Amino acid sequence: MRVEERLYTLRYKRDEKPHLEIKDQQVCNKCHETYKSPCITVCPANVYSFVEGKIIVSYENCLECGACKIVCPFNNIVWKYPRYGLGISLRYG
Amino acid sequence: MKYDAIVIGAGPSGSASAYTLAKNGYKVLLIERGSEPGAKNVSGAMIRESEISKVFETKDIPFERIVKRVRLIFRSKDDESEIVVKPKSKLYTISRLKFDKWLAQRAESAGALLITKTTVTGIEGNKVITERGSVEGDKIVIAEGANALLSMSLGLRRELKNEETVLGVKEVYASTRNEVEKRFNLQGDEGESWRIITDYPFPSAGFIYTYKDSVAIGVGARVDEIITMGIRPFELLDSFKTPYAELVKGFSLREYSAKIIPENGFPSFKPCEGSVYVAGDALGLVDPLTFDGIGPAIISGYLAGKAENCYSYSKMLFEAREISKVIKSRPLVKELLPNIGLYSHLVNDFLTSWVEGDFSKLKYYKSSLGKLMKHLILGLGVIE
Ligand SMILES: Cc1cc2nc3c(=O)[nH]c(=O)nc-3n(C[C@H](O)[C@H](O)[C@H](O)COP(=O)(O)OP(=O)(O)OC[C@H]3O[C@@H](n4cnc5c(N)ncnc54)[C@H](O)[C@@H]3O)c2cc1C
Ligand code: SF4
Ligand code: SF4
Repeated sequence: MRVEERLYTLRYKRDEKPHLEIKDQQVCNKCHETYKSPCITVCPANVYSFVEGKIIVSYENCLECGACKIVCPFNNIVWKYPRYGLGISLRYG
Repeated sequence: MKYDAIVIGAGPSGSASAYTLAKNGYKVLLIERGSEPGAKNVSGAMIRESEISKVFETKDIPFERIVKRVRLIFRSKDDESEIVVKPKSKLYTISRLKFDKWLAQRAESAGALLITKTTVTGIEGNKVITERGSVEGDKIVIAEGANALLSMSLGLRRELKNEETVLGVKEVYASTRNEVEKRFNLQGDEGESWRIITDYPFPSAGFIYTYKDSVAIGVGARVDEIITMGIRPFELLDSFKTPYAELVKGFSLREYSAKIIPENGFPSFKPCEGSVYVAGDALGLVDPLTFDGIGPAIISGYLAGKAENCYSYSKMLFEAREISKVIKSRPLVKELLPNIGLYSHLVNDFLTSWVEGDFSKLKYYKSSLGKLMKHLILGLGVIE
């Protein structure tokens, strides 16, 4: 099953302000070459992807799991929670 | 606005803390970022009544099923053995949204004020800063869970490392109550839990839990292994699930979720400083051997509520059985993890040898005796 189909099962309330941000794109390019972007590998929701040499963050799909901030070798992600309880809302948990 | 105590996070540890404080007459504010308690939280989940009942009256606990059988499965690429255990103590499966809501309601009934949809963004002295303004508390309990942004910002702990972090991914498949009971051969409120330890495609531990009308399937692996193997978490889950596809065939996928699980923490993380206390996953209190995190979260939250100063909190944590077993289990698990393959083969070979009446197969393990002894000794250390 594709990740997108799994994400359809979730209720999200979108925070207009991104809660995840990349500090420095250049660092990601270096990381991509040397470490193959561990944030892309570890993310269960396909939030990170490389498009035309640039890392794109689809923060609205984030499951708020916390893995990417740990694996980033350069501590290059500003990792916050969505504001006011926005973001994901689980039914079973 | 000033409170006697402010508790951050209405998960098991936060609600236990707020409940304890409110019951003792404190004016308590419990702040939760989710739209309701549990909305942001992920577990399998199986809980032990003996632990919950140390803090809460458990008569009306909103359980999914009472676990009558636990299947322990050791799986490697070609072998599989299963041991069925009938637990004597009371184990429940729960779904977090209902369970966390119930816990928070206990705190509210005791007099705590719960506010939701509010994220705490910082703590300065006795001031708790949120997106909606700030409040003051004589005592502050941080029960923020594994992504411990506040505890880290205060320098009470550091970020987890790859090798001490497990990423759990989970799916819930729903059908009817009848169908779940038929497939797992259950009656009434009875439930079944599966624990699957496997070294294929790399060391991971999975679970299957029966809920009322649904089934939860999940797997956890260390993030350093995930990165090294280059396997995506959902691919790992798919590979883990394949042998159990029949169990949920025709059921519909209702929820996909994921969360990190800390495999290190107290005493190397500081539990307290001044009037700020840390409890639960934020303090890294998940038992890596039994995957029990909710029990230690509740006990530590309760102790943080009761403690009069940092020294007594730290002392009480060391003395609590539920917490000391977490600390003692860590070195054993560190040893066992790279040897999951050895054990799943050993269990399989032992059981087949026994069934076949020929133990000669086991002579291969003679060379591992030293290692087995070491693990046994570490294992005995876990037993009090
Ligand atoms: C896949 C998986 C399976 C598991 N299975 C089991 C199991 O079967 N049995 C078991 O006992 N344990 C299990 N665990 C572990 C268990 O989930 C945790 O140990 C437990 O939830 C810890 O409770 P806690 O209260 O410390 O943290 P949490 O449950 O994470 O609660 C923290 C709360 O704080 C809130 N919060 C965080 N930051 C802020 C902030 N800044 N402001 C306001 N609110 C905030 C969060 O929204 C959340 O409600 C499992 C974990 C995972 C991931
Ligand atoms: S892991 Fe960090 S540095 Fe590497 S690509 Fe991802 S965000 Fe950039
Ligand atoms: S927190 Fe989890 S889901 Fe969100 S971006 Fe990071 S790894 Fe992906």
